[in-house]
Amino acid sequence: MKGRDSISEGGLSELRREFRGERGDLIPVLQRVQEIQGYLRPEAIRIVSRWLKISENEIFGVATFYAQFRFHPPGLHHLRVCLGTACHVRGGEQILLTAQQRLGVDTGETTPDGKYDLDRVACLGCCALAPVVAFDQKVHSQMSVLKIQRILDEHKSA
Amino acid sequence: MARKEPRKLAMEINHRPVTFPEGVTVHRAAELNGIDIPSLCSHKDLSPFGGCRLCMVEIEGMRGYPLSCSTTAQDGMKVLTDTATLGDLRKEILKLILSEHPSSCLVCDERVECKEYQGTIRKAGVTTGCRFCPNDGQCELQDLVEKIGVTEIDYPIDYHGYDPEHDDPFYDRDYNVCILCGRCVRMCQEVRGTSVLAFTYRGPKAKISPAFGRSHAEAGCEFCGACVDVCPTGALADKASKWEGKPDGSLISTCPFCPIGCQIELYHKNGRFTGARANLDPEVNDGQLCVKGRFCLPEVTHHFERAKRPLLRKGQYFRVVSWEEALERVAGELKGIAPEDFVMLVSPDLSNESLFAAQKFARECIGSSNIESTARMELGGGLGLWSSLFSLPISIKDIARADVILAVGLDSRFNFSVVGTKVRKALDAGAKLVTIDPCDSNLAGYTDDWLSPTPGKEGALLKLFADRLAGQKADTSAAAAEAGVDSDMLERALAIISSGHEPTVIIGPRVFHYSDGTALADALMTLAGAKKVNIIPLYFGANARGALEMGVFSEVGPGGVSRNGKGFGWTELLSGSRRPKVIYCVGDVAFQERPDCDFLIVQDTYLPSFKVDVFLPASSFVEAGGTLINMEGRVQQVVRVENPPEGVVFGFMRPDWRIFTDIAKALGSQALSYQSAADVFKEIRGAVPGFPAEVDRTPRRMKPIDRPLIVAARGDKAADGDFWLVAEPGGYRHRGIDIASKVGGLCELALEEGFRMHPEDVESLGLADGDSIRVTWDDSQAGAAATVKADPECSRGAVYFTRRVILGGIKQGRELGPLLGLRQNPARVRIARAEG
Repeated sequence: MKGRDSISEGGLSELRREFRGERGDLIPVLQRVQEIQGYLRPEAIRIVSRWLKISENEIFGVATFYAQFRFHPPGLHHLRVCLGTACHVRGGEQILLTAQQRLGVDTGETTPDGKYDLDRVACLGCCALAPVVAFDQKVHSQMSVLKIQRILDEHKSA
Repeated sequence: MARKEPRKLAMEINHRPVTFPEGVTVHRAAELNGIDIPSLCSHKDLSPFGGCRLCMVEIEGMRGYPLSCSTTAQDGMKVLTDTATLGDLRKEILKLILSEHPSSCLVCDERVECKEYQGTIRKAGVTTGCRFCPNDGQCELQDLVEKIGVTEIDYPIDYHGYDPEHDDPFYDRDYNVCILCGRCVRMCQEVRGTSVLAFTYRGPKAKISPAFGRSHAEAGCEFCGACVDVCPTGALADKASKWEGKPDGSLISTCPFCPIGCQIELYHKNGRFTGARANLDPEVNDGQLCVKGRFCLPEVTHHFERAKRPLLRKGQYFRVVSWEEALERVAGELKGIAPEDFVMLVSPDLSNESLFAAQKFARECIGSSNIESTARMELGGGLGLWSSLFSLPISIKDIARADVILAVGLDSRFNFSVVGTKVRKALDAGAKLVTIDPCDSNLAGYTDDWLSPTPGKEGALLKLFADRLAGQKADTSAAAAEAGVDSDMLERALAIISSGHEPTVIIGPRVFHYSDGTALADALMTLAGAKKVNIIPLYFGANARGALEMGVFSEVGPGGVSRNGKGFGWTELLSGSRRPKVIYCVGDVAFQERPDCDFLIVQDTYLPSFKVDVFLPASSFVEAGGTLINMEGRVQQVVRVENPPEGVVFGFMRPDWRIFTDIAKALGSQALSYQSAADVFKEIRGAVPGFPAEVDRTPRRMKPIDRPLIVAARGDKAADGDFWLVAEPGGYRHRGIDIASKVGGLCELALEEGFRMHPEDVESLGLADGDSIRVTWDDSQAGAAATVKADPECSRGAVYFTRRVILGGIKQGRELGPLLGLRQNPARVRIARAEG
């Protein structure tokens, strides 16, 4: 390791033992960073950039290509809206839009109070119940704009 | 590593037998044989991408329609590039591309009439809804639409509706018209090695952008414009010449901003110079440029402050006068002047012709040997050292062939970017890189070992590497301790460098400006004697080597002949120990205040900020032409692009050599009687040994001049303090101005303003970014105050500033003025918050 940026910051030192620090390690390294820190922060990307000799911009480009990487800290509760084929046909977009407005965040973001994060998924595997959302571990079936509002309001007041 | 010429192979394209070098793609093979296959994403310098899919061809024995840009050409292939099926497929693909690309102007039935009867400038935008691209006829997409013949788009339209991005200097981005061909991304990654641009997100949201929506300046953009040059649409466009329309033509010239001497294409329209692009000259820059050459030339030439008429002080008035009157006055002052009362200062940015005429004017018309140039300041370490360096076979091209590279104090982001691209090329071919630099640099991003010594110790470290390359033994651990670097890391770096067979050593300009250059000179001479090391010494002042060869110094005459004229120069002038009656500044205005003299003549492209007695307007490089000598010794041509008649409309500028001839004539001297630059060139050929008979771009080696190798250490007394104050040379000089004062974009970037420190140092002093600090170095309370910038690239325990030589037009230059007199560099200083 060279220079002033050391990978020992932010609990990432173990990565040096796990990887050889080659260009091809990028995706597994990012996965481990996300595992350790919960999401990809700009500082972590800077450290990885120096370590693997890949520019931050290139890393960002790779990471944004994959749905698995997040750039915001995960919230306490996860709301996942399904936009698979069946849910899409049955109006999943409307559900997602409502959730976005209700929480005041964009897809992939977390509310400022850190309570909820919102994601879209491709399929939850229960297409017969479309459109569906998953709130934490529980799957809610045959959603409507009113139902998603009620779920969020009830949870907030609880 | 001798590279073999690739084998020639043969194939058949469109039933025509053609030959091609082994290893190229089908697309390139066709291109080399003058067969055009439509494509929007392939580029000869970039890796195959296969994004636009327009270059599909039919190849006998291959299934489907392979892409010519990603299929390697093979011996005996039979290729068809232009069948009816291919035409139909291409048309469909192009329609798909256009379904995301605002293109009303491309397919509009009335586009011819629209152009013809365009009543107002706004009309096209208002009536057709096309407000995206400059529509200047320089669009590959537009050409292909014409060629392939798309007249309607029958796919659903899906425009992006992005906001155009105008925030960064130099070029605008409008990703609404981007077709995601990825040329800019590959250029930025593969050729420039900066990787500022990347594809971000995915699918319909995919967009070219730096990380986290940062601005290009924040993301480390060099503003080299390589992305703009390869963009096939109007998504990326120069701010300065976006609406200029299609140029009339271009001429190949040499960039006048630094001694690399890149070849550029100067575009002109209606007889006026409009913009510059890189020339694909394989000898020096190979299609690459830096921000100065790519974007700054038009603004420096056509800035509204450009002084275009002779001016004369008469009593309290400073008036526009005719050339006759100005020349008469100058001749009157110079007639019969004692040689020691006259000093001529000539800029190392002038052409060889002007430099030669200048020294001849001083020596033969006035009989004075008081001729001096800021080239002396730019060539830190002394003329003796530099003439020895110029006697080496310097090769910029060969950096790319090196197998190990040692870069000392080099950041190629905004200066010497072309050297950076060569380093990058070598690394791609498997070379190893070691950097020695207290500061973080753009090279540190991909170096194998970064040694970060205390400022000022670079020379000592380099000596260690030189000894190792020359096969001598040296004590590494002691040297490591002295320079403040880790000895294991140093040992590893030494091993890397000594493992090479063709080492290249690049020395950045900052290192030459330290007051104690003994170790550095020693190291360079050891390297020169070692096995074939390609030494690249970098300096500012485009024609400083020309200044040395033309002999514009009191102790050096044309051809680098040592003279013992008893002239004086900067030392006496700046300390005030000699007071000349007449000072004649030829583009070399290295003063903040009017220098002490009776009569001050300034001959330049811009007026200085202080009072002058006569101003003689000089032609800029595009108006005069001439030759420059680059650091390798190539004599390269600067082409005259503008040739307007002298008059009130275009101005009264004259080339420098012509003004000297005119004054000589007014003085009644026969010494100068040049009719054209070619006359001067011919005379230089007679006076400077080894100077070619005509413009000749082969590198030359200079004969070392008979001068001591190194000027004695310039430091006076050691000051004390907690921080190192490090002076860096200013990179934006051109004649009498700092180009950052004329070019809006450079001014915005403010690269050389104020002090720079590491953010943690700034914080530990209880300061914040942008605060005003005062730097003092002894008990006399002498010091300078300016704002401090928290710059993570700076090393800890040091404060950096740019010590410009040419201060024309720069506002903050005045505040840092007291630091110009500080002889020591680096110097120990104390830092405190500035009061008030």
